[in-house]
Amino acid sequence: MKTAYTWFLKISESISAAMLAALFIAFILQIFSRYVLNDPIAWTVEACLTIWVWLVFWSNSFVVKHDEHITFDLLYFAVKPNIRRIFALIGSLAIMVGIAVSIYPTWDWIDFLRIKRSTILFIPMRAVFSIYLIFMVATFAIYLVRFIKLAKGQNLDEPTSSPKEEVL
Amino acid sequence: MSLQFALCISTLLFLAGIGTPIGYSTILASIVYLVVAGQDIALAAETALWGLYDSFIILAVPLFIVAANIMNAGTISDRLLSFCISCVGRFRGGLGHVNVVASLIFSGMSGSAIADAAGIGKIIIEMMTKGNRFPPGYAAAITAASATIGPIIPPSIPMVMYALVSDQSIGYLFLAGIIPGLFIGLILMALNFILATIRNFPKDEAVSLREMPKITLNAFPALLMPGILLYGIYGGIVTPTEAAAVAATYALLLAGFFYRALKISTLYEIFVRSARSSATIGLVIAGALILNYIVASENIPSQLSNYLVGLDIHPLAFILGVNLLLLFLGTLLEATTIILVIIPLFIPACGDLGIDLIHFGVIAVINTMIGLITPPFGMLLFVINAVTKIPLKDIIRETWIFMAVLISSLLVLILFPEIVLWLPQKFGYVSSY
Repeated sequence: MKTAYTWFLKISESISAAMLAALFIAFILQIFSRYVLNDPIAWTVEACLTIWVWLVFWSNSFVVKHDEHITFDLLYFAVKPNIRRIFALIGSLAIMVGIAVSIYPTWDWIDFLRIKRSTILFIPMRAVFSIYLIFMVATFAIYLVRFIKLAKGQNLDEPTSSPKEEVL
Repeated sequence: MSLQFALCISTLLFLAGIGTPIGYSTILASIVYLVVAGQDIALAAETALWGLYDSFIILAVPLFIVAANIMNAGTISDRLLSFCISCVGRFRGGLGHVNVVASLIFSGMSGSAIADAAGIGKIIIEMMTKGNRFPPGYAAAITAASATIGPIIPPSIPMVMYALVSDQSIGYLFLAGIIPGLFIGLILMALNFILATIRNFPKDEAVSLREMPKITLNAFPALLMPGILLYGIYGGIVTPTEAAAVAATYALLLAGFFYRALKISTLYEIFVRSARSSATIGLVIAGALILNYIVASENIPSQLSNYLVGLDIHPLAFILGVNLLLLFLGTLLEATTIILVIIPLFIPACGDLGIDLIHFGVIAVINTMIGLITPPFGMLLFVINAVTKIPLKDIIRETWIFMAVLISSLLVLILFPEIVLWLPQKFGYVSSY
């Protein structure tokens, strides 16, 4: 079980990396075709934007861990552990409730987009945006597990000395 | 303010305050708004998804992240550093100057202050503290201060985000950052010189003239990068977004083929890491897009603007007030959050008060970069602490004077918009005021 999960994480990571690489290559193709071949291709823009949407929500579903998110944690790490646990429980619960009330309307809207296709590549927009549903389900699962672990008294975050993935 | 908006903001402050990730907090706060207002809840996803899908310029963010990570992994930073030592190491306060100059050059290649501090900054702090030449706190503090220049001189990730929320031209924003960046660099070097004289910091051994050509040649391809990027953008060859891809490609070619310092496995890790960072920022952007939509549909910015215009507030008083607020928020919040969520509130007011939005953007970016070194929440301080193990309290003790100087420079740039706008105007920017 544990190894299967590790493998799953490894594979999702490599998919994220591959999407970023694809984004990068599409950009290079675009510049190359315009300036070297003098024959601009239009589909790269759309491909990049589609990949970008997928990259963001795919990675947030399966690659980015809870403590890697951009967070205001001054107060969180300043309070006593039992209060911190309550904070974490409320946060996880809020995320689950938010997803629970919005998943049906969101699914409905995304499903409605089956009538719409992208302008150049004719990709159905439903397919492009469907990653958001996957993201909602995955996020719900992540915070459900976190909630249960926290409620059982495990998994309380400690301040770490390693910097977050922040890039500005 | 409507009930739903008040609830939206309190939810946001509450959830973010107790440590829920900012991206999720903004999305949840928007859902609260939509539910109470009786609007379609799907609007949250709709705004975020179409917003991400429609904003081509934001694609520069992941690409600049890749470029910065490649430069740090592929010895490009090291080579630049040897070059800087040979140029300015011989003066009083030697390695302090090297630190600033290296940041100036590096900032012309990457759009990130954190990349600067974690890459070039780490190496130079080791050099500065070797043999007790500089107090570790000082070495860390000047590194942090000079790293803030990274996103001021183009390319710049924060400016891309500002362009997204303000609808200003990235090209002009980038140009407008050049002179302020150089100006801040000079000020920091002057400060370093004065402090070095007072505290008797050592010079570095002068590198003999005979070695100069070799060192320069070694660093030359890397030194070309800022030139290539600027020429590419302003020669009309690539858009600023495409320039990000060019930067990443050039870094890849240099590190991989020219310097032969990049293994495939390292490259893979770089892409994984960059994808992670891009996704965390992407989530905050998604949340900000929804929140900005709500804020706009509540007419908050224009109400604020009308109110301020009604008060007959002087534009200078307004911009100073906003800057004080941003500096305060910068001590607590992440730069991404400030640029994407807070700054859009003031943009219409700037327009109505006759404040140039390019000027405002550069000021706001510099301000949020100062926020990266202000305790208690200063990302740059944390990163340097993490990569060098220099205690935070030593770093912070030495940071105050740099902070004071950076804030004074910011004040000068606020009072004299010409310093910011001169270069873009030379390239055809016409201020609408």
